[in-house]
Amino acid sequence: MHELKIAEDLKDIVLEAASEGNLKKVTLVNVTFGQMVQIVPDIFRFAFTECVRDTIAEGAEVTIEIVPVKMTCNECGTEFEVKDNLFVCHKCGSADLKIINGRELFVNSIEGE
Amino acid sequence: MEIKILKNILDRNQNKADEVRALLKDKNVVMVNIISSPGAGKTTLLERTCGKLTERLRIGVIEGDITTDRDAQRLKKYNIPIVVINTEGGCHLDSHSISKALGSFDPDNLDMLFVENVGNLICPSQFDLGETFKLAVISTTEGDDKPAKYPMLFREARAVILNKIDLLPYTDFNFESFSRDLRRINPSVPLFRLSCTKGDGLDEWYEWINGQSLKQKPV
Repeated sequence: MHELKIAEDLKDIVLEAASEGNLKKVTLVNVTFGQMVQIVPDIFRFAFTECVRDTIAEGAEVTIEIVPVKMTCNECGTEFEVKDNLFVCHKCGSADLKIINGRELFVNSIEGE
Repeated sequence: MEIKILKNILDRNQNKADEVRALLKDKNVVMVNIISSPGAGKTTLLERTCGKLTERLRIGVIEGDITTDRDAQRLKKYNIPIVVINTEGGCHLDSHSISKALGSFDPDNLDMLFVENVGNLICPSQFDLGETFKLAVISTTEGDDKPAKYPMLFREARAVILNKIDLLPYTDFNFESFSRDLRRINPSVPLFRLSCTKGDGLDEWYEWINGQSLKQKPV
């Protein structure tokens, strides 16, 4: 259900940007979510559609890019994608890692007229 | 026409969380964000912890509850400052409600602030409250697959509590499988095996949590 709160915050950002850009209608919203934040795209789209009802973004399409979890090893510097929840370095086996991708909750752009 | 935005959707929550974290750091207050499913034993853990540590640490509690103040009522006997946040159906706490609640505490007279988040393993993990660290609590009756299903919480927790170990013989909880999944996600996280009702494992827990305080005295 965190989809709803995130959709509400997205609505505010979208409407603010649309107003600054003098858009009369928002037709598309582009977002990127990290795999780790476990957003279910269909639930998110449904929540966003409800949030923007009766606004200039009503009916806007949402494109969602899901980014895999990527870490860098603090010991040997290797960058790797995390698969099957295995958070150890693929090269040296260290567990001292830093997250690069996978935690995104990012709005990239909107389109409209 | 395309308009570039390039912004974190939860910026507002993050900015307030950063403010909360800076304030607590300035006052040397450790804030523990306790996350679990409903019924895993967060309140019982707090009852035990307050019962043992209030002589050594100045403890405060923020109780996130969907509609009631029942959890707060259970902690009243420890004479500690408690603030209840009713989320009215909301499935997690956010940094704005925590910031507001902090106004009811005197940070100069506080060592550790426990936040009992709303019972839920997924939503609370996404919202930074400005805590010093997250504590994940699960219980044997929930099944051993929780780390694999909710990796973000177990990855980011500074410690994990497995509660209700006294009930192990009555469940099909497979400790080896649980432990293997947890170690893949977070190889070095401390794991405490407790029974908060019977008392198993609690001494080790008290020592660890007391050690997290920035102004601790020996247990």
